[in-house]
Amino acid sequence: MKQKKMVAMILAGGRGSRLFELTKKVAKPAVHFGGKYRIIDFALSNCANSHISTVGVLVQYESILLNSYVARDHLWGLDIAGGGVFVLPPREKASSGLDLYQGTADAITQNLDFLDQEDAEYVLILSGDHIYKMNYEKMLRKHIESGADATIAVIQVPIKEASRFGIMNCDKDDRIVEFEEKPAEPKSDLASMGIYIFTYKTLRKYLTEDAKNENSSHDFGKDIIPNYINDGLKLQAYRFEGYWKDVGTIDSLWEANMDLLDHTSDLNLFDTTWKIYTDDANTCPQYLGENAVIHNAYITQGCEVDGEVEHSVLFTDCLIKNGAKVKDSVVMNGAVVGEGAKLDRCLVMDDVKIPDGMVLGDPKSEKILLVTRQTVSKAGEK
Amino acid sequence: MARVLGILNFESNEATLGGLNDSRTISAVSFLGRYRIMDFQMSNFTNSGIDNIQIYIKNFPRSVIEHVQHTNYNINSKRGKIHILHGEKPAISELYNNDIASFAANMQYIEDSHAEYVIIAPSHFVYIQDFSVMLEHHIDSGNDITILYQSVSNAKDSFIMCDALSFDDDKYVRDITKNLGKYKNRDISLECYCLSKKLFIKLVEEAQETSSLYWFKDALVDKIDTLKIQGYAHRGYAACINSLKAYYDTSMQIRTSKILHEMISDNWPIYTMTNDSCPTLYRDEGKAVNSIVGNGCEIEGTVINSVIGRGVVIKKGSVIKDSVVLPGAYINKDVYVENTVVDRYADVTHVKEIKGSLENPAYVKRRDHI
Repeated sequence: MKQKKMVAMILAGGRGSRLFELTKKVAKPAVHFGGKYRIIDFALSNCANSHISTVGVLVQYESILLNSYVARDHLWGLDIAGGGVFVLPPREKASSGLDLYQGTADAITQNLDFLDQEDAEYVLILSGDHIYKMNYEKMLRKHIESGADATIAVIQVPIKEASRFGIMNCDKDDRIVEFEEKPAEPKSDLASMGIYIFTYKTLRKYLTEDAKNENSSHDFGKDIIPNYINDGLKLQAYRFEGYWKDVGTIDSLWEANMDLLDHTSDLNLFDTTWKIYTDDANTCPQYLGENAVIHNAYITQGCEVDGEVEHSVLFTDCLIKNGAKVKDSVVMNGAVVGEGAKLDRCLVMDDVKIPDGMVLGDPKSEKILLVTRQTVSKAGEK
Repeated sequence: MARVLGILNFESNEATLGGLNDSRTISAVSFLGRYRIMDFQMSNFTNSGIDNIQIYIKNFPRSVIEHVQHTNYNINSKRGKIHILHGEKPAISELYNNDIASFAANMQYIEDSHAEYVIIAPSHFVYIQDFSVMLEHHIDSGNDITILYQSVSNAKDSFIMCDALSFDDDKYVRDITKNLGKYKNRDISLECYCLSKKLFIKLVEEAQETSSLYWFKDALVDKIDTLKIQGYAHRGYAACINSLKAYYDTSMQIRTSKILHEMISDNWPIYTMTNDSCPTLYRDEGKAVNSIVGNGCEIEGTVINSVIGRGVVIKKGSVIKDSVVLPGAYINKDVYVENTVVDRYADVTHVKEIKGSLENPAYVKRRDHI
């Protein structure tokens, strides 16, 4: 029997402005992560590993690279008959002209025709900028068993941090009775992960209604979920345990990279049963030179190290020259750290060339220094 | 470029890498951390604009099929084609399992190709060569056959058992003999031949009539006096991997920064299969110097002057020195490994010291637990 189909829709259109230069020309989901990946590889690989074959990627901001990247669906094994990755930018329509996506819900509303055409029974809404491993198939099973109209993945957060999240207040059966966006006095420690499964028929109705409401911000968290609750529909919480991180800022992006070193088992990339797939670069294996000194590092192919690397993550093709010292830093693709240069608590952007002898970053600083071409040329002027 | 059929040939029967090719052809043996030996010749073909390639295998097709299926060497898969072929009938004995028999068995596919020329390259040699330049030379020279060769000054201890060419003053081949290590300076055949498809077919047919034991290179020797066979010099690094020592030596030579950059560069990419392994983690005291390391390794010990394959685990207190460790091997705590080739998925736990010599590297078998 042909299975009822769940279509994944990945929201990947946000600006990610808190990543500054990193997202000036590249949408956040396409930003590099963890040595060889891009952030969106996690959501796409989770889909592939969860046996989802049809994935829509909703793009808007600076999407040229992102579009061409995700369209290569074979990278995640999604190039299967009846499936694939569909790039869904805002488009001009016969009835309504060209409208940008106004909110997360509006992005889906504008693509209801796609979901109709794909004959979706369930819709999985995902974020393109979260780092985690999750089996959506299990979540769907729970959704069907509980007979819910929508299921929302939740994660326990420390109660004192709960006011930073959208908090789900549940009854004893994990049925959601109340949703509070960033509450000052949280009643629960279950935060929404921004991962939803909707039964499509109901969702379609609510989205169509919401589109007509001029006072709506067309957002899942602010509008659609509250409407479901107010109308007494069944919303189920799905508890997720494991590593999950929203990499929205330079500090959190740096931290998530460092977690690969310090908390290897939390997000185990060595696990061959749930691999994260990505575009494999055609490079040499990594080369460690005569003067290479490594203490606790995560290094990928194409890198050449002839200096000292301590507690750092090196991305594809970066070059650490003789006498350079890289400490507590993340060095992105193709960056060069010149001879005798020193980095401490830095996040070096792709292809930045740090001149010989330059010293950047501060071991005592709480903030991570984002090193861009401008940083380097400004420091050079001094 | 003229239409060319690329033929990736297999090694002769006397070439063997000890246990390394017990269950796979030499072409499919893991190499330099993330490649297979054949990736170099295959990338030579496709980087030279040849997208119609036949790969001949005499046995153990599994690893070649799997590898080629996932690599595809960056050709347009609609216009180009990579064909994996083998002698359809089982050979009565290994003696009969030669390249001529294989070419003859698949002659229809050779005839069917639209190519005017064939370029035959051996899968167990490693070098970078732009075949389009060689073909241009071949056409301009009016040769019947052009053979790629390398003038070497270390023939006493490398390229042993390879073909050595003798030339007359016009670089025409006068003799082909085996390099038995007697002379220092030899012109070593890199077993890459350029000729018209028509002549190739004729040579295969004649060779079959002459002897069922003939290899293509034997057929050439018979034609030295009647055909214009000329040498074409290769420049740069070249190696023939026809013994365990040659495999070890080649790995150690390419491991050095200079040759590594010559062999693998952005303008001549070497394609291989992705394994989707994560980057390599150096934990605690884990370190590496003068080495190349594949992805997906977990290194807690010390790696010196070595080549480490994908997904290798090296536990605390262990030292890997001047060695080649193939993908998936596991080196447990406090093991000392020197001048050794450790094959795939071997588990070294109880033996605490493995030492070979430069002359005679030690070998740890595939999937062995020691």
